[in-house]
Amino acid sequence: MAFVQPKETIQSTIDHLFRHESGKMVSVLSRLLGLQNLETAQDIVQDTLLQAMNTWGFNGVPENPPAWLYRVAKNKAIDFLRREKKFKEISPQYSYLLQSEYSLASTVNNLFLENEIQDSQLRMMFACTHPAIAEESQVALTLKTLCGLSTGEIARAFLTNEETISKRIYRAKEKIKAEKIELTVPQGVELPERLDVVLKSLYLLFNEGYNSSNPDKLIREDLCEEAMRLAFLLTTHGVTNLPKTNALLSLMCFQASRLQARLDDEGNIVLLKYQSRSKWHQPLIKRGIAYLEIASATPEISSYHLEAAIASLHASAPSFEQTDWKSIYHLYELLYEIQPAPIVALNKAIACAYAISNQSALSQLLLIKGLDNYYLYHTSMGEIYFGLKERQKAKDHYEKALLLTASRPEQQLLINKINNCEAGQ
Amino acid sequence: MFIFQGGQRMNNQSPEEMQSHMGKWMAWIDKLNKTGQYVSGEPLLPGGKLVSGKNGNSVTDGPYTEGKEVVGGYFVISARDLKEAVEISKECPGLEVGGSVQVRQVMKIEVPA
Repeated sequence: MAFVQPKETIQSTIDHLFRHESGKMVSVLSRLLGLQNLETAQDIVQDTLLQAMNTWGFNGVPENPPAWLYRVAKNKAIDFLRREKKFKEISPQYSYLLQSEYSLASTVNNLFLENEIQDSQLRMMFACTHPAIAEESQVALTLKTLCGLSTGEIARAFLTNEETISKRIYRAKEKIKAEKIELTVPQGVELPERLDVVLKSLYLLFNEGYNSSNPDKLIREDLCEEAMRLAFLLTTHGVTNLPKTNALLSLMCFQASRLQARLDDEGNIVLLKYQSRSKWHQPLIKRGIAYLEIASATPEISSYHLEAAIASLHASAPSFEQTDWKSIYHLYELLYEIQPAPIVALNKAIACAYAISNQSALSQLLLIKGLDNYYLYHTSMGEIYFGLKERQKAKDHYEKALLLTASRPEQQLLINKINNCEAGQ
Repeated sequence: MFIFQGGQRMNNQSPEEMQSHMGKWMAWIDKLNKTGQYVSGEPLLPGGKLVSGKNGNSVTDGPYTEGKEVVGGYFVISARDLKEAVEISKECPGLEVGGSVQVRQVMKIEVPA
């Protein structure tokens, strides 16, 4: 009788185990087999997880689940190497060691040691964000290879169809082959530039999770979690543990601390002003502060530093009314200097409304170009006009915003605001 | 006895979906175990051989050419009758992914005293 009573339900003990381990194993196997064999690495991982699903489902979860998975994946990789004998196609670094039965097993084993797994994931992050790969494909490829999301899950997270995501990933894989992209950590002058792209893709990933128009809350939070997990990984590695890496992670901690407070039980949006601050996750806020301190150890200032500092002021305010809007506005002014983008101007104008006046916020908003199709621009215009008691203009902008968002909670919020405008007339 | 077949749709699932499917199997076994209906069970590895012919002179790679025919494993459960066993089998998580359950009664051979 093979049945072993599961000690606890699987969900509570190994949350996202398959997904996370899938990302680790794809990275390690790609390093072993060469990134050109990414597809094979993914197939081996899929087979490994299927085997785990079939046997654990019957027999219970083994004592050390990751070790079980690694053992199976290793054996499958060794089988593939013996069978295919395609040593010339695989990483030159390992092909020599893998040709001899004597060194084959130990080479494969060594790559599955904890620090080597982390190293492989780091290399994979740089490969996924290689400049030859289009930006839209970079995030999709990162989610697929490092985070273990399926194309379907990525498509749902980005509110697009599976075909679009498949194409992006396909094109990225073609680039990997055409440009012979390898799993390496860039060195010297190349490193800072390439790290900036990695950080930016994690920032985009987090944002997609944090402010996604996706009605599916679960996937949304998963994206934030994945972005934080990878950002954390960067802080554990000597060459990538730079002040701006810590600043980005700090920003993510502060924003994530409010995730639970941003929606009520029915899934409606609760604005910052009305959020119950007791629901803010204090341990994350503490971590945010700690990373911001590490980030501020040098005079270097990145946009992540400024955004993290703004987020820290919100996180430390005892109430919405007691928020230090003047400092926040000042930080937005600094941010706009290094990043003169319309979206920064929009946030700066909102801070200005609280720090100075609705009138000067309005004059700033009217100067912004290129956000006509952005619902938050019109929502903000509506807010300011409402504050200035120009209800008809406020209503017009809320209605424009309503047409521009697909998210049901956002729409509900806007309908409430439109009703408020009408009630006051 | 439950013989589980097919359900190969899982091959294209994401790691998260596979893990969640596995959780359902574990919960089902757990439930049957608590009600005392679970007796034993084993998963089966894919593949296998089909031996036929006189002296077994024909060995092929098994009759299971299609995914839907693959036997994934079996349970021996204890139920009052076939009807109750069928009711229990309807909760099998494999059914959600296109699989099927063969419900069979194990023959009890009465040895005359």
